[in-house]
Amino acid sequence: MEIFIILIAPLLLAAISPLFKEERPLAGINAMGHLAILISSISLAIHITGAGKIEFFNLFHLDSLSAFFILVMALVNFFSAAYSAGYIRKDIEEGFVKGKKFVQYYALFNLFAFTMFFTASANNMGMVWVAVEMGTLVSAFLVGFYNNKKSIEAAWKYLIICSVGIALALLGTIFFYYTASRHGGITSLDWTGMMLVAGNLDPKVLKIAFLFILVGYGTKAGIAPMHTWLPDAYNQAPAPVSALLSGVFLKASLYVIMRYTAIVNKCMGPEFTGKLLIFFGLLSIAIAAAFIIAQRDSKRLLGYSSIEHIGIISLGFGIGGPIGIGGALFHVFNHALSKALIFLGMGGITRKYRTSDMNSIHGALKIMPFAGVAVLIAAFALAGSPPFSIFTSEIMIAIAGFRTGHYMATIIFLLLIAVIFGAFIHHISGMIFGKGPENMRKLGTPLGAKIAVILITAVILITAFATPPFFNKLLASSVNILRGI
Amino acid sequence: MVMDIFLLCMLITTFAMVAAKRMTALVNGFIGESLFLFFFTLTLGLRSAHAELLMVAALLFIIKVIFIPYSLKRISNKIKAEEDLGLFINPMVSIFISGGLVYLAYLFTRRIISMPGAIENAAFFVSLAMILIGIFIMVSRMKALAQVAGLLVIENGLFLAASAVSGGMPFFVEIAIFFDIFLCVTILGIFVYKINRLFTHIDVDKLTELKG
Repeated sequence: MEIFIILIAPLLLAAISPLFKEERPLAGINAMGHLAILISSISLAIHITGAGKIEFFNLFHLDSLSAFFILVMALVNFFSAAYSAGYIRKDIEEGFVKGKKFVQYYALFNLFAFTMFFTASANNMGMVWVAVEMGTLVSAFLVGFYNNKKSIEAAWKYLIICSVGIALALLGTIFFYYTASRHGGITSLDWTGMMLVAGNLDPKVLKIAFLFILVGYGTKAGIAPMHTWLPDAYNQAPAPVSALLSGVFLKASLYVIMRYTAIVNKCMGPEFTGKLLIFFGLLSIAIAAAFIIAQRDSKRLLGYSSIEHIGIISLGFGIGGPIGIGGALFHVFNHALSKALIFLGMGGITRKYRTSDMNSIHGALKIMPFAGVAVLIAAFALAGSPPFSIFTSEIMIAIAGFRTGHYMATIIFLLLIAVIFGAFIHHISGMIFGKGPENMRKLGTPLGAKIAVILITAVILITAFATPPFFNKLLASSVNILRGI
Repeated sequence: MVMDIFLLCMLITTFAMVAAKRMTALVNGFIGESLFLFFFTLTLGLRSAHAELLMVAALLFIIKVIFIPYSLKRISNKIKAEEDLGLFINPMVSIFISGGLVYLAYLFTRRIISMPGAIENAAFFVSLAMILIGIFIMVSRMKALAQVAGLLVIENGLFLAASAVSGGMPFFVEIAIFFDIFLCVTILGIFVYKINRLFTHIDVDKLTELKG
């Protein structure tokens, strides 16, 4: 059973981390552990496309959608774990991380991974709520890891805003339970149970409940206008943690929203949720566009880029239909990988220059050739240029938009991503090209990071044109689950 | 009848928290609110003879009436926080606004939710009012500890809502939620402490280094 490895391995890794006195072996074991989890998650995905679903303990229910999100999370976790090794070691060398504080980092890293895998595999939506909340609490320490004024400020904002968000999500969950028990006649919060009785639920209550769910989990997913914690957290967290937040945390919250949307859609059709998701999606892209144009800080730039992509995903999901939802899910995968890639490069650059202010970073290509190339590739991928996979998923969403008659929304979407393309590439090329500071020494990239960069680049290039059969099957049956078929 | 009185008392203590000008008064208000929530759940448990609800009530008493107020007071003594709460809106206006929020909650419950019993309806209405007022406390008080107190009011409201809905959510979910809230407050406390150590104050409106 792959799922046991996926759920238990992070707990084991967290439990053994205090035993280590040195950072190096712990980082190695951590990366190996996450490689094992990644392999298990691929095997789980293949297994589930054959079996349909896995259920056990009355608590877990895994279908293609869960397997898909677990796969995305495992990928990002693995790359982030591999990258953490070099990153934290450097922090120790430079004195930012003292004594045995690295133990805390790896323990939190793995607890966070556990809560996120749990979110994707639990059936009971109350337990899902608990897992997301635990994930927030754990990651607050990762955001505030450096314990200086700015990082504590970021962590505080993150905790407070997300706590209010999660409180609203709990209220939404209670509303769902209310109508499920009163009109549906079931006394559980199981997603499968609520799906079964979806037809009997009260639309009036569902509408309110869904609004709370969307605002509540949307706060965590970074949907505008509840996104304000996100750029601060990205800016202050260690780079591998920022990659985790964008690749895992935001995606897990979106996953929960998708599950609830499926219930609501099954009860009263996709119009209501569709309108809301399209509206918030476009709003997120628009706000991200404005802040990307005016941005001066490289890490905040990446934060707003995440808000943009979350907006694109919810737009595609709101447009609906097999192509829209398929495009949105594919975008989840593509964004997670491309964002991980850009953090791999950018983390090293901002540390070498000792600032994340874009006006002070020039000529990164000369100082750190490998990282510079990685950032450049990732920037084009994120901006949505061919031949990278994000281009494919964005085109899918645009096609779905025109086909289903959402002309206005699709045109606004295309205009906004064109603007973002220009602004994003402009900012990044200002940092990558040009003359570097005179007295700065050239810096190589560690082998682990190099391998990670090459691997991700290969994946986002290849998947733009062709995806493996199991992946297609997984995506197709996830789309069917979300459409209630 | 008894339960109605408990609900009314919860609402009154919530208003006392809105009117509070000092941290001690705020925490005392919270103790009162949690105590009446405990009585309410206890009565509910005794009447419906659900052993689970009694367990929940016991946990409620230990965590919300004893542990959380104690740790809030301890933190506030430890960091020698000035007692004042950084009121953004003065107490008089705050009470008027809260009154408006209560009316909103009432309208909402009447229009949308129709519970089987009158008590459940009233409980739902009070819980919504508490959630709204909690959010209001969070946005209108500028000290970190006062914001934590606002969050606690929201969570008491959520808890009441959950027990109003057909006699409580599934048992293990409630336990897990309790555990979470417990952790959340502990962690927020740690951060309040960190903020105080690094900034030598806990004024949230002065945390303005991160912008854009």
